[in-house]
Amino acid sequence: MKKLIVILMLCCSSIAAGAAESKLENIQVETSVQAVERGADALMNTCHSCHSLKYITYHDLVKFGMDKKKVDDWRGDQPLDTAVTSQLSDETAIQSYGKVPPDLSLMTKAREGGANYVYTYLISYYITPEGMTSNHVFPETKMPDMMGMSGATDPAQRAEIQTKARDIVSFLAWAADPHEEERHKLGYYVIGYLLVLTTLLFFVKNQIWSRLK
Amino acid sequence: MNNRIIKWIDQRFPLSSFVKHDLTEYPTPRNLSYWWNFGFLAGFVLMLQVATGIFLAMHYKADVTLSFDSIQHIMRDVNYGWLLRFMHATGASAFFLVIYIHMARTLYYGSYRAPRELMWWTGQGLLLMLMATAFMGYLLPWGQMSFWGATVITNLFRATPFFGEQVVIWLRGDYGVGDATLTRFFSLHYLLPFLIIGGVLVHLVALHTVKSSNPSGIDLAAKDNIPFHPYFTIKDLYGLGIFLIVYCIFVFFLPNSLMEPANNIPANPMQTPTHIVPEWYFLPFYAILRSVPNLVGGVVAMGLSVMVFSFMPYLDRSRIPGGARYRPWYRAMFYLFAVDMVVLGYVGYTPPSDQSIVMGKIATFFYFAMFVLLPFISRKEEQWLIRRGLPSDVKALVASEAKEKIKLPDQRRSGDIK
Repeated sequence: MKKLIVILMLCCSSIAAGAAESKLENIQVETSVQAVERGADALMNTCHSCHSLKYITYHDLVKFGMDKKKVDDWRGDQPLDTAVTSQLSDETAIQSYGKVPPDLSLMTKAREGGANYVYTYLISYYITPEGMTSNHVFPETKMPDMMGMSGATDPAQRAEIQTKARDIVSFLAWAADPHEEERHKLGYYVIGYLLVLTTLLFFVKNQIWSRLK
Repeated sequence: MNNRIIKWIDQRFPLSSFVKHDLTEYPTPRNLSYWWNFGFLAGFVLMLQVATGIFLAMHYKADVTLSFDSIQHIMRDVNYGWLLRFMHATGASAFFLVIYIHMARTLYYGSYRAPRELMWWTGQGLLLMLMATAFMGYLLPWGQMSFWGATVITNLFRATPFFGEQVVIWLRGDYGVGDATLTRFFSLHYLLPFLIIGGVLVHLVALHTVKSSNPSGIDLAAKDNIPFHPYFTIKDLYGLGIFLIVYCIFVFFLPNSLMEPANNIPANPMQTPTHIVPEWYFLPFYAILRSVPNLVGGVVAMGLSVMVFSFMPYLDRSRIPGGARYRPWYRAMFYLFAVDMVVLGYVGYTPPSDQSIVMGKIATFFYFAMFVLLPFISRKEEQWLIRRGLPSDVKALVASEAKEKIKLPDQRRSGDIK
């Protein structure tokens, strides 16, 4: 038990330290096809060389409503129903970064803070006084600053990177939960139906109970 | 035509008499409040879990290399698979919520007292089976929290005297939680709900022998009982409507709020997640486990914290009717206990710090102290209430009920007033 508690405490203190580093930005995740497609575009150029999305196929992107020509560009000569996997082999990844880059299919669901975490992480790269690149949200990260946030000093350039990061997060949020929109739409109908049904049941109940005097 | 069929059946099976005895003429106290809806709701959620679970099992694969992917297959590719899975996952939380309210109602109104001890104990058995089912079901997605939760909990069986190590290996089917553990948990996760259904039937047979308790705590005379059908069938359906609205808000709009983010990462035995937490419904008991600085002590305390409710019929020495309603001291204890549960839940949720460890110890002490002190407090309270005189409405009710029926002394129940 003591061992368990010690392990637990160690684990917990490390997350507490990590989380306390910086506050997460609060962003509104866009769900429109345009935003998600822009995000996919940015992701294909910036992240896809190392990161896979093994639960998403190119066909899913077309089905969602993205431009078929663009998707064809991304997939090259792979069949349409191939998963969006990177070309980086695990061995090369471990050689270059010390670990295999995580799959991004569920990224916005797999981190405390969700989309806000991923967005804040992407834009939190900075240059330390020693001249190294580091990240406020996740200092131990092995990922280089692909968006170029740490080197960007011009406010316009920073804003551009933030927009791009937001688009990527919109795409990742869709990829993690592709049925969200459908779920919400159905939810309104189901709850609306239940409200009517429950109101009717309430009146029937009162009517039946009024027989008791 | 209809009558002929029913007659044919009745000669071979007690259909009409069953409907009469258990529905259309089943006497139910007319003063039941909405707190008495939760038994029916628990039964409904059980059916919902079985129904969604059967369909999930058609697409799920119990294999460490496939199970995480098969959940994603259900969530993404299976038609309305996301709905099935969110209903099932949210249903687990709903089940515990409903059961905890059902238990809280029993405790508040003293419904565990004679002659309903067997209902309380079968209910306790059902709770244990529900906990086991939920715990094993949580391993099936094979996420980080699934794996590490199962590792931590199976590890507790190390506390077994003499054969600790062997018991843990026997439970897991391997030295660590692995494929053998996953397949057996899946098999048992499918089996236990059917045992629960059997237990529910026993629970219901007991109920229909002793009949429902009611908020007054007094055994009501015939004039105050009404047939279950149609009065309580419609009341239960109305309650079900309200329940389903809340349930669907979670299923359709907040399904991820009940899921631990770390469980969206596939299980990795080489990497411990930063903070292992159980699902919310186990948090208070988990806090008790952590509050005892010794493995055996912690496990015993945790087991006892769940099982101690069984002793309630003996711990509560008061014969004042109506549970907490007419008993101010017991009522205060009930609410203090509820607050203590919330504190324990909070302690179980937060990473242990010096402050939360102290808080957990105090809350754990308080938790058990309540049960230890109850016999003395309830006895004293009864004497105090009798000296002071019962509230006039209780007296009037007792008198009017007594006029309605003559009871033999050996039929008296502990909740009755002499």
